[in-house]
Amino acid sequence: MCETCGCGKPGEFTIHDPNQAHDHEHSSDHKHDHEHSNDHVHDHDHPHDHEHDPWHSHEHDHDHGHSHGSSHDQSQKRLIDLNLDILSENNRLAQLNRRFFEGRKVLCLNLVSSPGSGKTTILEKTIIALKHSCKMFVIEGDQQTQLDAKRIEKAGSRAVQINTGSGCHLDARMIESALKKLDIDSSSILFVENVGNLVCPAMFDLGEHKRVVVISVTEGDDKPLKYPNMFMTSHLCLINKSDLLPWVDFNTEETIKHARSMNPGLEFIIVSAKTGEGMNLWFEWLSKQAESVISPLKL
Amino acid sequence: MAVEVINLAEREADRAMAKTIREITIEVGDLSGIEADSFESALGLLAKDSILANALINIKKTPGTGRCNSCNYEFNMSQRMATCPKCQAFPSEVSGGQEFILMSLVIE
Repeated sequence: MCETCGCGKPGEFTIHDPNQAHDHEHSSDHKHDHEHSNDHVHDHDHPHDHEHDPWHSHEHDHDHGHSHGSSHDQSQKRLIDLNLDILSENNRLAQLNRRFFEGRKVLCLNLVSSPGSGKTTILEKTIIALKHSCKMFVIEGDQQTQLDAKRIEKAGSRAVQINTGSGCHLDARMIESALKKLDIDSSSILFVENVGNLVCPAMFDLGEHKRVVVISVTEGDDKPLKYPNMFMTSHLCLINKSDLLPWVDFNTEETIKHARSMNPGLEFIIVSAKTGEGMNLWFEWLSKQAESVISPLKL
Repeated sequence: MAVEVINLAEREADRAMAKTIREITIEVGDLSGIEADSFESALGLLAKDSILANALINIKKTPGTGRCNSCNYEFNMSQRMATCPKCQAFPSEVSGGQEFILMSLVIE
C-alpha cells in the first residue's frame, strides 16, 4: 500500500486531483510503476535508493526487510501529495461561467491593460455607437471607487462594479457573483473591464470568449516584451490613442512584431477612442465575434 | 495568488480532517508568470492569519527550459523570448518551468 498516493487498499486516506491524470509520477524522488492488479504482487526489484521523507511510511507487502532510518512514530503527521494546479479552482468556475454564457448566447470579452490605456473610454464610445445594434452589459473591475461603472451607465449600458480592494485582478468567482447582480439579457455582449494590470489578470480565466489587450501609444513599444503572458493569452490587441502618434516615440511595427513572435495569431487594430479613428474596424471585429455567438451586429 | 493557495490548502486540510498544517510545498516555475520571491513574501504575510500560521513554507523553484523550433535543442530559458543558443533560431518553445502547483502538505 502506497501511503503517498493512497492507491491500494480502499478506505485509506487518498486525495486525487480530478484534473490530473493519475499516472503516478510522484513528485518526490520516488518513482515506481503502479500497474498492479488487485492482489498487488510486487515482484520487481526495489532498490530503495530514493530518499525517504520522515513522514512517509511506505509499506510494501513484499518481504525485504528494509528499515527506514527515520522514526515512524512522530505523532499523526502525514504527508499528502496533492500535485494540484493552484489555478484549477478558478478554471473550474470559469468553465461554469462559460457554460452560462453559451446558454444565454452572451458574447463575453475580457478587456485587460495597464492603468490609463483608455479601456473605459473605448467602452463608452462603443456603447454610444452600438447601443441600437445590440444590448451591452459591463462588469467593471477596479481596486476602489464606482467611477468607471458610473461612466458606463451614463453612456447607456447597465454596469456593475467590482472593487477588489487589495486584489489586483478579477477572478472567475467575482464574475459569477457580478452576474447574479447584473441580470443579463440573452443575446447580448458582456464586456469585462479588468483591473488595470498587465501581470495577474493574464493568469485568471474568467470564462470569456475572447481576451482583448489594450495598449496606448504613450506606453512604449516594448510592452509585449515586458509582459509576455498577457500578449500570449490575448486574441486581439487594440493600440489606442493613435492621435498622439506624431508626438511620441512609439514604433507600431516593432510592437506588432514583438507580440506576434510569441503569439502569431494575435490580431491588431489601431484606434483612437478620442477621435474615432479605427473604431469602425473594432466594431467590425466585434460584429464578427457576435456572429459566432449571437448574430452579426447591424453596424 | 497567495489567497488561492491558502484557500486550496484549507480545502485539502478539511478533506483530510487535519487539525493543522505543518508544512506546505509549492512549485513555482521560472516561466510560470509568478515571481517566486514576491509570492513567497505575500504568502508569508497572509499565512499568519490562516490555517498556514504554523506551517513551514517551502517554495520549490523549477528552472525554465525551452526547445528550439528549428533544431529541437533543449536549453535553459530565463525568459520566454529566447533565441536558440545552438542555431540562433527564433522563436523557441517553452518546454518546462511553467508550473504553479501545490505539491504537498504535511498535516497533523
